[in-house]
Amino acid sequence: MTYAHSPLTAALLHSLVPVVLPPEANDLADDVVAHVALTMGALPTNFRRALITGLYGYDTLAVAWAPGGRRRAHQLPADLAEAYYVSWEHGPTPAHQQLAKGVGQLIKLACYEHPAMQAALGYTPAAWIDKVTRRRLEVYGADIARQERSLIEPDPLRPPIKAPRAREVV
Amino acid sequence: MVALPRPAVRQERIPAGVTTRDAIHGELVLDADVVIVGSGAGGATLAAELAECGLDVVIVEEGRYYTTRDFTADASAAVRALYRDGGASMAIGDPPVLFQEGRAVGGSTVINGGMSWRTPERILDRWWREAAIDGVRAKDLEPYFARVEKRIHVAYQDPESIGEDNHLLKRGADAMGWKVIPNLRNQVHCPGSNNCAFGCPTGAKQSALVSYIPRALHFGARLLSDVKVDRITMHGKRATGIVGRVVGADGRPGHRVSVRAKLVVAACGAIQTPALLARSGVRSPSGRLGHNLSLHPNVKLTAVFDQPVRGWEGVHQAFQVREFEGEGLLFAAVNIPPGILAMTSHPRGAALHALMQDYDKTVVAGMLCEDTSTGRVRTIAGRPQAFYQLAEFDAHKLIRGVALLAELLFAAGARRIATPFAGVPELTSADDTRALYAHTIPRRAMEVVTVHMMGTAAMGSDRARAVTDGHGLVHDADRLMVCDASLFPTPIGVNPMETIMALATRAAAHILDNHHQFA
Ligand SMILES: Cc1cc2nc3c(=O)[nH]c(=O)nc-3n(C[C@H](O)[C@H](O)[C@H](O)COP(=O)(O)OP(=O)(O)OC[C@H]3O[C@@H](n4cnc5c(N)ncnc54)[C@H](O)[C@@H]3O)c2cc1C
Ligand code: SF4
Repeated sequence: MTYAHSPLTAALLHSLVPVVLPPEANDLADDVVAHVALTMGALPTNFRRALITGLYGYDTLAVAWAPGGRRRAHQLPADLAEAYYVSWEHGPTPAHQQLAKGVGQLIKLACYEHPAMQAALGYTPAAWIDKVTRRRLEVYGADIARQERSLIEPDPLRPPIKAPRAREVV
Repeated sequence: MVALPRPAVRQERIPAGVTTRDAIHGELVLDADVVIVGSGAGGATLAAELAECGLDVVIVEEGRYYTTRDFTADASAAVRALYRDGGASMAIGDPPVLFQEGRAVGGSTVINGGMSWRTPERILDRWWREAAIDGVRAKDLEPYFARVEKRIHVAYQDPESIGEDNHLLKRGADAMGWKVIPNLRNQVHCPGSNNCAFGCPTGAKQSALVSYIPRALHFGARLLSDVKVDRITMHGKRATGIVGRVVGADGRPGHRVSVRAKLVVAACGAIQTPALLARSGVRSPSGRLGHNLSLHPNVKLTAVFDQPVRGWEGVHQAFQVREFEGEGLLFAAVNIPPGILAMTSHPRGAALHALMQDYDKTVVAGMLCEDTSTGRVRTIAGRPQAFYQLAEFDAHKLIRGVALLAELLFAAGARRIATPFAGVPELTSADDTRALYAHTIPRRAMEVVTVHMMGTAAMGSDRARAVTDGHGLVHDADRLMVCDASLFPTPIGVNPMETIMALATRAAAHILDNHHQFA
């Protein structure tokens, strides 16, 4: 499913990046918001719709939040954006809490899936995979080939009812 | 430059016998002896056994056919591709439980951890006794387990594949004097790339995709990928085939596909199978279709050590701590990539950074809990929705398990540990772990996930209490079988793949022994 944020959703997510993520991630806000779109595209349609509706509610209800000065969530300055998020995190209903948690999770995932953040953590899985893949083939090639052959060796569970329609798949 | 032996061609391209959406250009109608919906642990095993004995088998799978080459370290791309609903399926309850199902040729075996265990004897005895299922005790299933283990190559890990996180877990268990065993996994010289949950990039894991599926294809089975089955066609109580639609690249339904068959098998997993049956108008006289959902609730701890651990270097879950198996608790070390660790951790902002900056010194340890409560899958507007309420007893068990596992990790040298409980401060000593019992931890503060859904079309000889008979044939229907994790009458307390495969092999034997009934 291809999904693109509306300008409002994008603006709101942008405003939440400094609330959810450490300052180290501030420069990555555009990429984080783009990654959230990819994840949202993979969610079931009803879930995604509920999330978008929830985000809309989060944004507009800020107007009624006294400290916000009648501004919408995406317009709040950083300190108030944080306080408003906390008011949902510990909000009055499970729906408030779940929305804050859910959107926070999407943003956290996007941040730490970012190659720059992963590099900063020293996380280098691709190099490791490459290394061990080669080593496996070098050291155990014969065993691997044997198992692959065994996968297509006849070994019927019961005497065959008909001759199987053998086909070359390798 | 060293010339490397080539990995199997099978793992590099789509093999003969597989029809993907790109090759379906109009309505498709097929005839077969057996149509199997779902190509995971249950479906693929059954398909291979039946095809080898000469039955004309068609497998219909909603997910894509991926090859080993498609599997990389890009975790979030893999989750979007290989997991149903982007991995964000949720059982509604207190707490909500995030669960994951595979959606690809090979089903959840493509993304699973490869732990391969036989069903505990006490569980099989219970099934025999309580569900009155004949031929299901350990001695009866022995040949089926042995056959599965040969096919998917169940073996211990080569020592060099085991990473520091698992050595630390074992060291902690040894220091506590607890029983810890090496894990059996379906792998051929797994080198420990630690990518199991995102598709095995080396081909070492013998998922259904690289074991039973190629075998089934070799013996003539046909596989339609990218086709979602909407319903089973019924003539009165007799199942006559399936109808479905091609799933387009954009997720939209495309051409219609139907398969007419003498036997129809639902092997869609414990969440999708009850929904498929319900959509098809199958009503169990027991009223139990979709009920009896067990989950093996799972929680994780994040422990930071002084020394580098580099948990992504080495196979995950090389060991299992079995000291508390009798209480239904298993512990293991399960490294997870930074994005998913951050996502499933409570802190945010600077506190998140404090946790994540030690990622390379982190051991993530998880716990499987054999549950006592059951939930339900309801079919709402044709889609399954799971509901599950964690029992008070199981919630206490999770707290106890977390405290025990934290003790083990401190014994291994952990400096601080983040728990799966929101609002509970990081633990910094073994004393803190004991104080956990004193905390009031509401269920909603627990971060619970699962990958083991079971029991929603349970077998049993009493049609008033069970959905299928002891072989998976649906009571009160004709030529309709279930062959997946839905069949479990109770949770099993260990990883379920091998049990599903053994039951599928036993079901194949039953079909072959009684093939005149299905002619
Ligand atoms: C991340 C993860 C880790 C795991 N680790 C382990 C482990 O280490 N050891 C272990 O024993 N178990 C593990 N499991 C569990 C194990 O993999 C599953 O229990 C097992 O694969 C379930 O088998 P199944 O046949 O019931 O369903 P699946 O293997 O899930 O297969 C069902 C298939 O049916 C398809 N399908 C569903 N509905 C339709 C439809 N309407 N039309 C067409 N196709 C459909 C799905 O796309 C899927 O491919 C893990 C699971 C996950 C998700
Ligand atoms: S750890 Fe082993 S089985 Fe898992 S993905 Fe890596 S090579 Fe494959």
